[in-house]
Amino acid sequence: MSRGRVETARFGTVLAALLSALAGAVVLSTATGPVSIPFGGFVDAFLRGGDGTPARILLSLRLPRALLGVLVGGALASSGVAFQALLRNPLADPYILGVSGGAAVGALTVALFLSADASPVLPLCAFLGAAAAALSVFLLARRRSGVSPERLILMGVVVGAFLNAVIMLMVTLSPPGKIPGALYWLMGDLSLGTPRRVAVLLPYVTAGSAVLFLLSRGLDLLLLGDSEAFQAGLSVERVKTATYLTASLLAGSVVAVSGLIGFVGLIVPHGARALVGSGHRRLLPAAFLLGAAFLVVSDLIARTASPSGELPVGAVTALAGAPFFLYLLRRNGGRS
Amino acid sequence: MNPALTARKVEFRYGDRDILRGVDIDLFPGEVTVLLGPNGSGKSTLIKILSGVLSPRAGDVLLCGRPPRSFPRREMARLLSAVGQDPPVDFPMTVEAYVALGRFPHQGFFGGTTSEDREQVARALDLTELAALRGRALSEISAGERQRATVARAIAQGATVMLLDEPTAFLDIRHRVAFYEVVTRLAETCGVAALVASHDLSLCAEYGERIVLLSDGAVAAQGRPERVLTPENVRAAYGVEVACDRNPATGAIRVTPLRARPPGVET
Ligand SMILES: Nc1ncnc2c1ncn2[C@@H]1O[C@H](COP(=O)(O)OP(=O)(O)O)[C@@H](O)[C@H]1O
Ligand SMILES: [Mg+2]
Repeated sequence: MSRGRVETARFGTVLAALLSALAGAVVLSTATGPVSIPFGGFVDAFLRGGDGTPARILLSLRLPRALLGVLVGGALASSGVAFQALLRNPLADPYILGVSGGAAVGALTVALFLSADASPVLPLCAFLGAAAAALSVFLLARRRSGVSPERLILMGVVVGAFLNAVIMLMVTLSPPGKIPGALYWLMGDLSLGTPRRVAVLLPYVTAGSAVLFLLSRGLDLLLLGDSEAFQAGLSVERVKTATYLTASLLAGSVVAVSGLIGFVGLIVPHGARALVGSGHRRLLPAAFLLGAAFLVVSDLIARTASPSGELPVGAVTALAGAPFFLYLLRRNGGRS
Repeated sequence: MNPALTARKVEFRYGDRDILRGVDIDLFPGEVTVLLGPNGSGKSTLIKILSGVLSPRAGDVLLCGRPPRSFPRREMARLLSAVGQDPPVDFPMTVEAYVALGRFPHQGFFGGTTSEDREQVARALDLTELAALRGRALSEISAGERQRATVARAIAQGATVMLLDEPTAFLDIRHRVAFYEVVTRLAETCGVAALVASHDLSLCAEYGERIVLLSDGAVAAQGRPERVLTPENVRAAYGVEVACDRNPATGAIRVTPLRARPPGVET
């Protein structure tokens, strides 16, 4: 068997393992909760389409919540992969670039100050916020000689800090009744109104992930650096713009629906790279599945760990993520 | 024969510093042209302009009769490949995957990997003696091996014009010779027009049909090795004293640096 085929077979195995892990996480998450549901409840809900209380808990609370975790985790991880390729920097993620902050400002503007129920357009406004932040970071980092990844990250950190201040200002100045909800949302949460949020997010995540996957060869070439990618035949500016917009759309729509969930976009790409390597045709699907499983499990921990109530899932991802990230960095000698 | 690539009166500035001042160059199919010149003379800048990465301030570049930037990107990359001076140090892929990136102009975003792609990659790895290292990470091989991988990627690209920026800088003598053998063979068998920026004064005289000597952003001399590699030209460009004679074994020009002697000391 040729090396290529061995690798493809190995990739298939990894993908199957990731899929099973994700399925397991979803099942576990659906089965776990304050109300214990007998096996009959599952049969009733999934096979007979029943409408007893257990079936309703499963179908309108737990399953949508797990699916939301899948979409959010997958989208954050994919967006992280894209930003890391774009900036050729393993530290890049939607947070460091100010993209998430911009999305939060966009979403908060609508949620706090405009109409009562704006949820269908929230992702769009968050995307506009994300794109505006991404664009200003890009323009600020730009020089006549081009855009260096280092400057981009520097500007991202500056713009991100500024946006964080804006977020705090907005929350402080918002109508009093809305403050606790807004704060909780900012810390990242998957708990409320899930079926509708899944429906809102699904098209954005599907389209965004599909576009990134179609760009994957271009992302490989971007790793060469701008001049070499250009000489190898890539329309560098176009691919970069498309990647930037798509990754911002993914991150922005996720922030709109579930607030600021950190660390997934940063660490999951590294974990996925350790499993399948850096070629984006393999990395993107692997990162999506790994991110999805990671977030579903994190959310399960968030809602079961503390007896006094739910933790924000963003706190769990950071608590679990930071040590895992350090472990990866040390194991790979800081290369991945 | 028509040149595959021409540049006329090319000028370029970084800021307000003149880097290239009216450079003319022609690359012909089947011919290896060696670009000599001291550090900072503008070799890399010229190669970036010829490959369309930089636009000249004045003058024209024509690839097969058209400005490089007028081609769709992939079409241009099928005609011209270029390798920069710095091999990517921590590129996160295997040697083989890296070399396979050279096939992008033939595949595009959505095309699969064909048997032709696989053959070209295997051939490029063979020509650069990298077949045994194909599964290794690019970050885990030596600088010279990495440099050969960049050349392999350009070969896999299969273009008729190849621009190579100091591709032998990190190579040992065996791989230096092998490199010149390979480009010469590509020129003879595939009609490749190659431009090789180099500091191998004597070795390139063995292989380069034509030498262009760049000095301070202008062509100081060009033509056959015996015309370009004279003590006067080398002194003017590099500021070193050399002796130029014929290598008795091959008949090619041989350039030998002479030891600087303190003034007034006779030998
Ligand atoms: N990005 C840059 N910005 C400003 N000056 C540059 C840049 N790159 C190269 N130069 C200058 O242009 C001149 C030519 O450089 P280069 O083409 O790299 O020379 P060579 O390849 O012959 O060593 C040098 O004086 C160098 O300092
Ligand atoms: Mg140079």
